[in-house]
Amino acid sequence: MGEVILTMKEIDKSFPGVHALDHVSFEVRKGEVHALMGENGAGKSTLMKVLTGIYKKDSGTISYEGKEVEFHNTREAQDAGIVIVHQELNMLRHLTVAQNIFIGREFKKGFAIDDKKMNEEAKKLFDKLHIDIDPTETMSNLTVGKQQMCEIAKAISHKAKVIIFDEPSAALTETEIEELFKIIKDLRKQELGIVYISHRMDEIKVITDRVTVMRDGTYVGTLITEKCTKDDIINMMVGRVIYEDPKQHSMVAPGAPVVLKVEHLNAGKMVQDVSFELHRGEILGFSGLMGAGRTETARAIFGADPIESGDIYVNGKKVIINSPEDAVKCGIGYLSEDRKRYGIVVQKTVAENSTMAALEKYMKGLFINKKEEKKVTEEYVKSLATKTPSVEQLVVNLSGGNQQKVVIAKWLVRDCEILIFDEPTRGIDVGAKNEIYKLMNKLAEEGKSIIMISSEMTEILRMSDRIVVMCEGKKTGEVSIEEASQEAIMNMATREIG
Amino acid sequence: MEKIKQNPIVKKLGFNRIILCCVLLLMYLLFSLVGKNFAGLPRILSALNYAYFLGFLSLGVTFVIATGGIDFSIGPVMFCSALISGYCLNSYGVPVALSLGISILVGALFGTFNGYLVAYWSVPPFIVSMASMNIAKGVASVFTKTQSVSWPQSTSEQGWFRNLVKIGNFPVGFVIFLAFAIVCSVILNKTKAGRYILSLGSNKEAVRLSGINIKKWEMLAYIICGILVGIAAIFFVAAYTTVQPGYGDQYNNEAIAGCVMGGTSMAGGLASIGGTVIGVFIIALLQEGILALHFTKDYQLIITGIIVIVAVYADVVARRRKN
Amino acid sequence: MGKSSVSNKSLVSKLGGQKFIVLLVVIGLIIFFGAVSPDFRKYTTFMSILDYSYYIALMAIGVTFPLITGGVDLSIGTGLICYSLTGGYLIVQKGWPVAAGIAVSLLLSILIGLLNGTLVAVMNLPPFLATLCTCMITRGLGSIFSKGFGISWPTSGTPGSWFRNIFKITVNGTKIPLGFLWVLLLVVLMAFVLNHTKIGRYTIAIGSNKEATILSGINVKFYHIMAYVISGFFAGLAAIAYSAVFSTVQPGTGAGFELEAIGGAIIGGVSAA
Repeated sequence: MGEVILTMKEIDKSFPGVHALDHVSFEVRKGEVHALMGENGAGKSTLMKVLTGIYKKDSGTISYEGKEVEFHNTREAQDAGIVIVHQELNMLRHLTVAQNIFIGREFKKGFAIDDKKMNEEAKKLFDKLHIDIDPTETMSNLTVGKQQMCEIAKAISHKAKVIIFDEPSAALTETEIEELFKIIKDLRKQELGIVYISHRMDEIKVITDRVTVMRDGTYVGTLITEKCTKDDIINMMVGRVIYEDPKQHSMVAPGAPVVLKVEHLNAGKMVQDVSFELHRGEILGFSGLMGAGRTETARAIFGADPIESGDIYVNGKKVIINSPEDAVKCGIGYLSEDRKRYGIVVQKTVAENSTMAALEKYMKGLFINKKEEKKVTEEYVKSLATKTPSVEQLVVNLSGGNQQKVVIAKWLVRDCEILIFDEPTRGIDVGAKNEIYKLMNKLAEEGKSIIMISSEMTEILRMSDRIVVMCEGKKTGEVSIEEASQEAIMNMATREIG
Repeated sequence: MEKIKQNPIVKKLGFNRIILCCVLLLMYLLFSLVGKNFAGLPRILSALNYAYFLGFLSLGVTFVIATGGIDFSIGPVMFCSALISGYCLNSYGVPVALSLGISILVGALFGTFNGYLVAYWSVPPFIVSMASMNIAKGVASVFTKTQSVSWPQSTSEQGWFRNLVKIGNFPVGFVIFLAFAIVCSVILNKTKAGRYILSLGSNKEAVRLSGINIKKWEMLAYIICGILVGIAAIFFVAAYTTVQPGYGDQYNNEAIAGCVMGGTSMAGGLASIGGTVIGVFIIALLQEGILALHFTKDYQLIITGIIVIVAVYADVVARRRKN
Repeated sequence: MGKSSVSNKSLVSKLGGQKFIVLLVVIGLIIFFGAVSPDFRKYTTFMSILDYSYYIALMAIGVTFPLITGGVDLSIGTGLICYSLTGGYLIVQKGWPVAAGIAVSLLLSILIGLLNGTLVAVMNLPPFLATLCTCMITRGLGSIFSKGFGISWPTSGTPGSWFRNIFKITVNGTKIPLGFLWVLLLVVLMAFVLNHTKIGRYTIAIGSNKEATILSGINVKFYHIMAYVISGFFAGLAAIAYSAVFSTVQPGTGAGFELEAIGGAIIGGVSAA
């Protein structure tokens, strides 16, 4: 670790009704990776937005390279060498990689933009970072991981001295994360200051030098990563210890009937000859890398995308599923990985969302029985411990974890026996995650059968009774929880790539 | 200000709608002060005549906009309905009641056509409505051999349908229109159809993945719109006399403006029938007021445009402050 | 790893699949009508189709820009009539030189474009509504400027009719559709602007992800406004084409032109968000 390059002192920021940052201090040294941790809403992103000029601070000072500074927008911060790699990728999907990297500072040849030179420069940049991406490729054709690499390349091309990674690994596969870490280590060697925001404990231990923890908009403390344990950090974050050990043995009763059987399912390139069984009361983990075809399989079973061939049996009976309508009639419910797009109707209330799939049950003749609707929703708000001021609250105003519970409630109201949970805890903070886990266990105990798609190895090992592994659209393995290990699963998840 | 907004009665009625009502009243007072004889009954009845058919168009298009779609064919389809049914009445001797039925049928057919293409073939609503706008104009011209059609006067034997608008000086149309508005409001807020129409306007994919046949419900919104456009045609011919083929698109903008002024979001998912009704009355009053001030219709267009801009901008500012 | 970086673009996708198909359909239609109707093969029929196409084509070129930003411009149709009436009124009734009249038309079109852009980019009104309002406003303004009368720009053969030759010139008795050439040139020019200049690049960027474009430090408001100014200006050019091709311009018309132009742009492959 070198000298201090950036110091934020006593930063204070309020929004109407919220004291977002309460005199928070933070520093970054050259050649260090400094983790910034805290639950959702702890103020990490707000602090970084104050730093890069997106928000104006109420009080406090920022000094950078020994001088006091105040940036008015990201452009100024960028020019000074502070660059943020955003949580929600800031990609311009319709433009090419090179056009994205040089957006706002294009090379020009007279009136025209010199795309050729931009492509060459981008290529040089990628070579330097050992990234293999075609600069002329359209951004929307890249995987999330590659898009992230482009963001990093863009940051480097800004001659950045401080790079802020805002949850960079949230959407990356394990191999992509490894690549990312390689790049970050490289940057550290080049004496850059790196701020790393993440929820993932394992990563923090691997990649960072120091950890600063925030809670409810306040600074809690800074630790040297080497000298602290996972539990220390978690304790600082939430003030309680969270159980995160793998499941020891299957909780499914022996001889539990098969509720869902899928045979030789084909649906496009991402679903090739997939077969598996799901037992009553089982949590079946679907593991694999991003883009392994797990979501596509789920969507095909749910009728969201067309099936080419293959048979689906529910409770031993062959069923034909051509649309989500058919699937729901068979008692299948699907929680999408992309809650906002596919799960909830944000402008509607908790009650309206909860009864969405089962409105028939709450009709009085031609009209909706709002009293009944409210009653049943309140029951589920209570049993799922959804935090909402009332069932009349618009879903848009709830936090991610609570929105997820509303979607779960939707399927429970519909009495779905088979639930497909696609990345149920993505973008949800540690505490809420734990609640979702408890809830899934409870549902399984009550006899619901769950397919859980997850990219987090710890989550898979902690929740599943059995694990199906997919790779490039094919099922490459199946193990019981007793036999499962991180290495074995990783092996199967990469089998096709070989 | 915040206190007023939190008042339960205000909350129930909707703050924006109360503001709109105030605007309506203020406009009336202003026109009464400035315009000659504006306060009198004839002017009001004349404004109402304009409000009826425009109101039905607006009610109809509210359903379509609620799904996140748009319908630019409402004006021409209304004219097409009026022309075809009027031609049947005049040239084929079809009874009046049946002609009115034909009018609704034509509207419903166009609604079904639009809805089917949008929902089942996934053609963008904009393109579909453009196509059916041209089809409506073309069909009407061919059917009437590009002649204008005049509906019977109230004094004639067949003129009874004009009682739908007013009997003596009693505005029957007002009562009918309000009754329809209430029915629409009930459909939108209290039935499954309304719930699904609004929900799919907000997030279509989420509704589909809830196992709901969104195509059916989306198409229904266009059919409801079509039926209301057919009824609008009835009120148009009951209030005025002659219908010209090849026109009708001038009413699209006003109908959509009335709807949006009332708080229906162009993005879909949010719709207010009450707001639409008030919005329509504002536009109708404006039209009459400007005529009363001896300005041409052109000024009304400009002022309506400006008022909508102000109304929407106020909404944008209010929402920004909320966040 | 290397898989995704290998680009295997087929010829059709390089040409832009949809554009390619549209071109085929147009050629197909020409062959069909040519085979079925003998009139269609006549030079005059062809000329009159071209006459009708200029103003729609010009509007379509312009409206492409707001469409790409994810917006729309509904004011171009009534705007066209408004600009044409205003310029025509000054020339015919006030005796202004034709060039000055044209200049006023174009200036007005830029002003309305500026107004649209300000409403959308600065005041954050939904583009659909903002331009719906300016649609009504320009329709009213046009009638007011022309006092409600139709206006005929100088007809062929009279002094000041030179502007009609911009679009159709008669050489040795044969009419040559010069307008077609201008439209083609403008298509090439604007395609260049869209793909190889900052204005075009940022127009696409705004349509892709406005928030990210702002974060890239680009003056998004300016470029967003520019999209509408371009749209307005091309409606102004369309007004000149309209005045040159048709004998009389009627107030109160023009509603619906914009839909044809937008429809054309969308069928040609611009995705309406």
